[in-house]
Amino acid sequence: MKKTARMLAGMMILLFCALGQAFTEDKCLTCHETVGGKAVDLFKQDIHHAKGVSCAGCHGGNAQSDDMEKAMDKKAGFIGVPKGDEISRACAKCHGNAEQMKKLGSALPTTQYANLQMSVHGKLATNGKEHIVQCITCHNAHGVVSVKNPSSPVYPLNIVKTCTKCHADAAFMRTYNPSLPVDQLDKYRTSVHGTRNAKGDFKVAQCASCHGSHNILSAKDTKSSVYPGNIPSTCAHCHSNADYMKEYKIPTDQFDKFSKSVHGVALLQKHDNGAPACNSCHGNHAATPPGIESVSKVCGSCHALNADLFSASPHKKAFDDRKLPECETCHGNHEIIVATNKLLGVTSEAVCSRCHNESLNVKGFAAAKSMRGLIDSLETQEHRAIALIDEAEQKGMEISEAKYKLRDAHQARLESRTMVHSFNEAHFREVAAKGLVVSATVSQEATQALDEYVFRRVGLGLATLVITVLAASLYVFIRRLERRQALGGK
Amino acid sequence: MKTLWSNIYDWVDERVELGGLVEYMGKKYVPVNRHSIWYYFGGVSLFLFIIQVVTGILLLLYYKSGEQLAFESIQFIMSKVQFGWLIRSIHSWTANLFILTAMIHMFSVFFAKAYRKPREVTWFTGMLMFFLLLGFGFSGYLLPWNELAFFATKVGTDIAGAVPVVGKPMMVFLRGGEDVTGATLSRFFGFHVAVLPGIFTVLLSIHLLLVQRQGMSELISHEQIPPAERKTMPFFPNFLLRDLLFWLVVLNLLAILAVFFPWELGKKADAFASAPSGIKPEWYFLFMFQTLKYIPGKILFFDGEVLGILLFGLGGLLWLMVPFWDRKSSRGETNRFINYIGIFVVFYILVLTIVGWIL
Repeated sequence: MKKTARMLAGMMILLFCALGQAFTEDKCLTCHETVGGKAVDLFKQDIHHAKGVSCAGCHGGNAQSDDMEKAMDKKAGFIGVPKGDEISRACAKCHGNAEQMKKLGSALPTTQYANLQMSVHGKLATNGKEHIVQCITCHNAHGVVSVKNPSSPVYPLNIVKTCTKCHADAAFMRTYNPSLPVDQLDKYRTSVHGTRNAKGDFKVAQCASCHGSHNILSAKDTKSSVYPGNIPSTCAHCHSNADYMKEYKIPTDQFDKFSKSVHGVALLQKHDNGAPACNSCHGNHAATPPGIESVSKVCGSCHALNADLFSASPHKKAFDDRKLPECETCHGNHEIIVATNKLLGVTSEAVCSRCHNESLNVKGFAAAKSMRGLIDSLETQEHRAIALIDEAEQKGMEISEAKYKLRDAHQARLESRTMVHSFNEAHFREVAAKGLVVSATVSQEATQALDEYVFRRVGLGLATLVITVLAASLYVFIRRLERRQALGGK
Repeated sequence: MKTLWSNIYDWVDERVELGGLVEYMGKKYVPVNRHSIWYYFGGVSLFLFIIQVVTGILLLLYYKSGEQLAFESIQFIMSKVQFGWLIRSIHSWTANLFILTAMIHMFSVFFAKAYRKPREVTWFTGMLMFFLLLGFGFSGYLLPWNELAFFATKVGTDIAGAVPVVGKPMMVFLRGGEDVTGATLSRFFGFHVAVLPGIFTVLLSIHLLLVQRQGMSELISHEQIPPAERKTMPFFPNFLLRDLLFWLVVLNLLAILAVFFPWELGKKADAFASAPSGIKPEWYFLFMFQTLKYIPGKILFFDGEVLGILLFGLGGLLWLMVPFWDRKSSRGETNRFINYIGIFVVFYILVLTIVGWIL
């Protein structure tokens, strides 16, 4: 008896399921299948179809009716093929509605449409009627699949191709941003990221990793992930993640080091956008670590004079022979600290002493020692001149001219620090001598001003004394005169 | 020694007949009373004027007017010219002391009602000289062409420009255009070294001549005392020697101020730079400046600033004309109302100046 009841219940459930299927069947698809077409074939693979979204979900109309007139009745909301911004709005009906997405069993975010509108792609197209990019531009219309599906145009290995549909089209890009290059893909394919991506590594950076997806902003926008000040943290998103980078066997402390470096402090703390970010040395789309040969060219693109002096110096050949990277050997790479006098010379903290000592490379040892002595003198003399100027100024002396000359002393010190890269003692001595002369002149003028200050005080004392004596004498004279007059009057 | 002086005197007397002048001055008497101290402020103002003329001429030897040269020439005077710093500091300090002593002199004359008949013209010339002094201060302040002076002149001429009807043309005339530029500097230099000194000298001559002709004014209360019982002192040599003593004290003060507080030069004016914060005029304009700051933007239908300027103008005019409307003093009667006005004005100027200085 129990068995019969169970069978009946099972049959009832099956019947209800079959009826339900019949009622929710996408009649649009049923009819259009008979007509055939690419859209129908693609839609059958579409994630929306799998989730139970009918054609009417985007095109409107009544998907339950097998009567064509009723199914495509405008009164039932049929819009046909959506055009322009209607497309994105149709997507946003669900994708911008958290409740609707929940009903469909999706955990996707619902901010894409809002982000797209605020992004650089959300600007008006040249026809003035719609935004530049609609959802289907990147995701396709029919046959939309999950971003994790390798056939998706926004799957990490396909996204480069998707973006370059427009971004590698010079004629198309000219209409929007003629100054924007269209060779990003070519460069990308030369980069470490690009080559690995081409080999099927979906973890490496592609367009969306750095630029974002729906919320892409101009690199000039301070909120953009590729704005100069934001680039280090954008790169660090992957490169500082030890777990993520594990298989690549490269360090993950670059960001920490860079943040402490002179470049990092300038960029991240002082917000000096002229300071180098990761891409300044590694390139952006063609990102790759500079090789031993090219590292000096990278540094030399900003530090041109230093690079030129180094190239003409005896160190160039010595470094090349030993396959030492030029700038990096003494200054480091990511953690380049402010170069002080300590780097020069023969003390344990000086970089020269790594290769030069009293018994090895003696000539360089002597030159380094002498240059350090000179640069220290320059600094001491400049500080002495500054102290004297400050003292004279504090005492109210007019020494603006001497103060102005102080700039030359400072300039000479900077020049001499650059001249270090020639590793030529005679040249260095010439520049340093210029600075020493200026500092001595300034000190002399400041000392004169201080002497003048003392002279003024002494002069005032004497003048006051004379005037006071004169006034006192006059007072006595007046008293006597008036006494005499009083006596005469009586 | 005495013989030498006598010989020199006789030598000069033989040629220019000094005797008459000495005899005239010998017969001239100065009233002696508990307010006699105020009589010296006229003399000390004269002394400071002489210092200004001498130091001004010395500065002229090196000063170069012009947007590109003025600041640099003062810098040169301060750092390279022998005692240039002293001359400039004395000129600047004297300018301020001059205005202060002239102000004290003016108020002492006001409270003593020394402007009353027959000294209306003396008062009138004195007051005009005081206004010219303010003009000297305002025009001289710009000459170093430094940042503070530039913006203070801008603000000052802006205020002048707010006067109804004549304001705008007056401002353009003062600036030599719509803005404070090198043209303003040139004409301020012209006013400072030629126009103002010329007029001042004429007024000063009349003023001194009248003082000599009419003598020092007696207090109204002393006029009741019979002339024989009034205490006096000979103008020469007693008063003149005391004057000289006061001058020496002031000279000492000036030397100390110039050495211990050398007048600063500041930064060169830059028309494109933003105005430094806390721009203030010189202390003698501060009470007016502060008043204009406190006046509401609109008073009934009138613009507050314009109303303030007009009130100051009216006040100045009434002050200038006091000998003509204070009939009571002219009749030799005590007029306490004048004292109250004077006390109010002194108190007002003092308070507003201090407030302006602190805030």
